[in-house]
Amino acid sequence: FLGAGGGNDIQWCFSQVKGAVDDDVAEADIISTVEFNHSGELLATGDKGGRVVIFQQEQENKTQSHSRGEYNVYSTFQSHEPEFDYLKSLEIEEKINKIRWLPQKNAAQFLLSTNDKTIKLWKISERDKRPEGYNLKEEDGRYRDPTTVTTLRVPVFRPMDLMVEASPRRIFANAHTYHINSISINSDYETYLSADDLRINLWHLEITDRSFNIVDIKPANMEELTEVITAAEFHPNSCNTFVYSSSKGTIRLCDMRASALCDRHSKLFEEPEDPSNRSFFSEIISSISDVKFSHSGRYMMTRDYLSVKIWDLNMENRPVETYQVHEYLRSKLCSLYENDCIFDKFECCWNGSDRQVIFNGTVSFFLLPLCSIVMTGSYNNFFRMFDRNTKRDITLEASRENNKPRTVLKPRKVCASGKRKKDEISVDSLDFNKKILHTAWHPKENIIAVATTNNLYIFQDKMN
Amino acid sequence: MLGRGLKRKLSDYEENMAGLSSAFDSSRSLPYPLKRQLVLNMCLTKLQTYKMLVEPNLHRSVLIANTVRQIQEEMRQESNQQPVNVCPGITPSSHSYTGMESCGISLQLPSGISQQESNCCDLRSVEDPIENSLLIVSDDDMSSAISSILKDLDFVEDISPPTCLVPTGDDQPKFPENTGLKLEDDRQDLKGAECVFGSFEISNSTSYLKDLAIDDIFEDIDTSMYDSDFCCPPLMPPRSPSLANEEPLKTFPSCNSSSASNIQICRTDLSELDHIMEILVGS
Repeated sequence: FLGAGGGNDIQWCFSQVKGAVDDDVAEADIISTVEFNHSGELLATGDKGGRVVIFQQEQENKTQSHSRGEYNVYSTFQSHEPEFDYLKSLEIEEKINKIRWLPQKNAAQFLLSTNDKTIKLWKISERDKRPEGYNLKEEDGRYRDPTTVTTLRVPVFRPMDLMVEASPRRIFANAHTYHINSISINSDYETYLSADDLRINLWHLEITDRSFNIVDIKPANMEELTEVITAAEFHPNSCNTFVYSSSKGTIRLCDMRASALCDRHSKLFEEPEDPSNRSFFSEIISSISDVKFSHSGRYMMTRDYLSVKIWDLNMENRPVETYQVHEYLRSKLCSLYENDCIFDKFECCWNGSDRQVIFNGTVSFFLLPLCSIVMTGSYNNFFRMFDRNTKRDITLEASRENNKPRTVLKPRKVCASGKRKKDEISVDSLDFNKKILHTAWHPKENIIAVATTNNLYIFQDKMN
Repeated sequence: MLGRGLKRKLSDYEENMAGLSSAFDSSRSLPYPLKRQLVLNMCLTKLQTYKMLVEPNLHRSVLIANTVRQIQEEMRQESNQQPVNVCPGITPSSHSYTGMESCGISLQLPSGISQQESNCCDLRSVEDPIENSLLIVSDDDMSSAISSILKDLDFVEDISPPTCLVPTGDDQPKFPENTGLKLEDDRQDLKGAECVFGSFEISNSTSYLKDLAIDDIFEDIDTSMYDSDFCCPPLMPPRSPSLANEEPLKTFPSCNSSSASNIQICRTDLSELDHIMEILVGS
């Protein structure tokens, strides 16, 4: 098993599963994004039907110290509707591509959700009391007959059943010609970027009618187009720095102070191709599907079709670590190309701020975020974790068959070739329709959310 | 959805493709040129399929186009280095690429060197399915296939300038030769878009009207264009430039569902012009 901060192995157990049990998957229920908020108390999912569902973690039950709080539905709302662009006679899909939470500033929670064309800022607020005892109105709102009002009283707030309301506060529209693939909130918490296939725009959260175009890779002649933007993210600490990845497997780091239009990168990260692995599909599998900075901002992680790579921002010519997610697929690339699976966009994530407590001899202690584990999905509802310290990895499965709480998940193994051992699964038996594209790790605890096609699984580590 | 117990049957084409790709993956004895040809065929099929979609996926199209270019370059270098061995026919008809027939445009072409058979450089549908099994594609046609798809993407995607871009957003909508390309599709319920282009037709004609002497108007004007049931502009062939339309279209704001008022303006224009014509013609 894995080792993680403090020398404890993480033993993953099933905790919950959300979503329909049927094998028939309704198109609208396909989960398209998963994201914890900054405290981890809330977990948001977006789906192909344009809905956002937010789960809230129960407060820890003191009597049940062996498990952390469960996640229950907190709010559900329709974020985006299908639209029709009359000029181009195109339907704009309502599918939610990304959700990003803002850090909490007051009682309400805010998140950004986006489909292919429009980004929306949603406010989620609670109401758990209401005023009662109006002088001029009845409880149901009807006005009282004035002649019956003989006394005067001050209305008081009385508790009511909790109501969670979601309301759109800003709509950022009409700035993207191509399909939005990423949004990322700046560390200044005032601006954010949105990226489509060819352009990246910078927005201010308060201003919806203007955005700045900071990257534009569209060639004058579209016939010369050979590369598109696949993901973009702001640096976690440096508010003028961001990166964007491309379909050619490169990552560019840009500094907004250098010029208004960041067409010239400050750094270009690219690994030279391994000639022994060259194939017709080399370029396609090098396309980066996700990029994530580590919490410190010193490293970033990229996901391409077969691997996860960790880059040191100080070294551009190759990654510092590479982890093979499902190398056994390399010999199946033609079939995967034929059925389009080769274009699947897997995401990746770091473990949360693994807080390590260090005493420096006096009373004070330090909390260090350690991005020591990376997680990403694969096929057959498998997902993988790699421990950067121990160099060990594990394959687990998200399946309703494993749904006994507090039972440790059994590791899985794929047999690439040769004799298949007991409990191994051969490559040809893998179900390529069951793909895990979206995973998320709680920012503070060892709780993970893993999305299969239409179900959301929550796993936690077994607390001793 | 299929009911339980019914086996889903792959179409012949899909079966062939699945068979071919697993042959590619598993067989070490498949000669390299054959593998390359197979990949090329798959790429071109995909590009053709995307072409038929209203909104092809730009990311995938670019990746596939790059793969085609890469293979093209390789084949070009090989043919430069040595006399070409025409790639032997893949197999008898059991592996024939019948899927290409249905694609409307198939690329049945000789290799780069042997130009004698250049009469095959026909981008119309091919009659003989067996000939389709050998799809050696010439440079030019591969390039034009890629070009046409990428150009289409430009038209489809980038018509309207994003209204919110500040200075550096230099987003003039480009109107290359593809004006009207997507209007060919059946769009009964798209009166909005038709009105847009309809009104531009009319506005061009009004300037024409101003140039003529008043008396000439009654004789020369073909008023059939202004009939109230006119909604479709004369359809322009796919790649002919319609430069006259560029100007007015550039000034037209993005017409998506959130600006329904634009469509109202079109309709008003039409009826006003109707009215004017009635007065002029004196009927």
